[in-house]
Amino acid sequence: MATRTTVPFGPQHPVLPEPIQLRITYEDEKVAEVVPVIGYGHRGIEKACELNEYPKNIFLCERVCGICSYQHSDTVSQVIEMLWPLDIPPRARYLRTIWAEMARCHSHLLWLGLFADAFGFESMFLQFWRIREKILDLLEMTAGHRVTQSVNVVGGVRRDINEEQKKTVLDSLADIRRLSNDLIRVLVNDYTVKNRTVGVGVMTKEQAISLGCAGPTLRGSGVSEDARLTKYNAYGELNFEPIVEYEGDCYCRMQVRARELLQAIDLQVEALGKMPKGEIAVKVKGNPPANEAVFRTEAPRGELFYYGKGNGTRHLERIKIRTPTFANLPAVLIMLPGCQLADVPVNVHSLDPCISCTER
Amino acid sequence: MENIKEITKNDIVSEGKKLLDAGAKFVTAVCNDLDEKFEVNYVFSQNRGVDLTLLRYAVGKDEEVPSLSGITLSTVLIENEMKEFFGLKVKDIAIDFGGHLMLAHDSPTTPMLKSKKAESKGGES
Repeated sequence: MATRTTVPFGPQHPVLPEPIQLRITYEDEKVAEVVPVIGYGHRGIEKACELNEYPKNIFLCERVCGICSYQHSDTVSQVIEMLWPLDIPPRARYLRTIWAEMARCHSHLLWLGLFADAFGFESMFLQFWRIREKILDLLEMTAGHRVTQSVNVVGGVRRDINEEQKKTVLDSLADIRRLSNDLIRVLVNDYTVKNRTVGVGVMTKEQAISLGCAGPTLRGSGVSEDARLTKYNAYGELNFEPIVEYEGDCYCRMQVRARELLQAIDLQVEALGKMPKGEIAVKVKGNPPANEAVFRTEAPRGELFYYGKGNGTRHLERIKIRTPTFANLPAVLIMLPGCQLADVPVNVHSLDPCISCTER
Repeated sequence: MENIKEITKNDIVSEGKKLLDAGAKFVTAVCNDLDEKFEVNYVFSQNRGVDLTLLRYAVGKDEEVPSLSGITLSTVLIENEMKEFFGLKVKDIAIDFGGHLMLAHDSPTTPMLKSKKAESKGGES
């Protein structure tokens, strides 16, 4: 008879950059049950939004997460704009798209590095992070900051990309594409990588839908769903179709992110080429009306959902944030049972968990 | 907002099941404090995530409400969160964290209620 042992995985663990605990019950070395335990760093940001006049909530909400901070500011700006609703200048919509895809690039590069590190491929970890620095440089040059850009406002954006910057961005993106392609080719073809990821942590299409998963976790299980299909920002005018893999294992989730990295570069190049001239913001008059709205964007980890409710004053009555990791966390209930103890870190990383987002 | 379907708490499980059976995916739930009662919204997406449907019901603050976690585990976390943050009395959640999914044992209780005012901890707000 197998020996049952319950072991806490986290909240502090070498592969976890943020605090979450998985209370895992093993039968010998095989996972039998798992219960996720969160709440180690909840910051009450939804409640803190009540303190601020609505324009300041953009700067608060973009601090929900350090990696997808851009998407938080984009989404909260647009949920507030929906309360009027405001018509945003086309150039601002394109600029938001370009920065969103830059953020996707740096997030996926960060994840690809961490994923390689999770199974001991440390040189690849450093190579991916070296490329990521180039994207952060582009964000700094165009938006003013490497991590928390603070470039969105209600009504548009605060900065523009001029012709000289555009040329620099295009040159650098070509470089990033070449370097990323070289590394991705190694990652998807390497024997050891395949050995550690193929057939590990399988989640079927039906399970992924039933558990309410989002983003690459969902698309790695064969579900062609992406908030960019709602055609917000400039996505309706770009050549976009979600990237999908079908086996539902760690290898597929890795492939989705690797291909999305290259797709994000292509989307930036296309958006820079099609970006119309014109204003970058509209003047906003009055307070958000007493109304409610939902706005969703596709953050690097999946669909980011904001609900906003105005009451006619400068203080919103309610902001509700549903982050992708909050949606993906129940997946561990399906993915982990049956896997080996040694595969737990790779499995957990394949979800790209962001606890900072989850504990907004 | 479009596609809001007003229902009662007694219909939430059957209406939710109808949507799920038709291929919808649960997105999240949103609880609002309307002073005398709660407004609860369950959000589902369809058509590759493009379309949203909100199932909305209002309920007295002392009333118990059913959980959808019996038909989809995707609601477990958000139902625990609504229970903790608002004091919404969700019964029979498949995994009940007993009021401590997000909140610690010494945390303020039901912090999202309107009556619990947010307080600035210094600096201009």
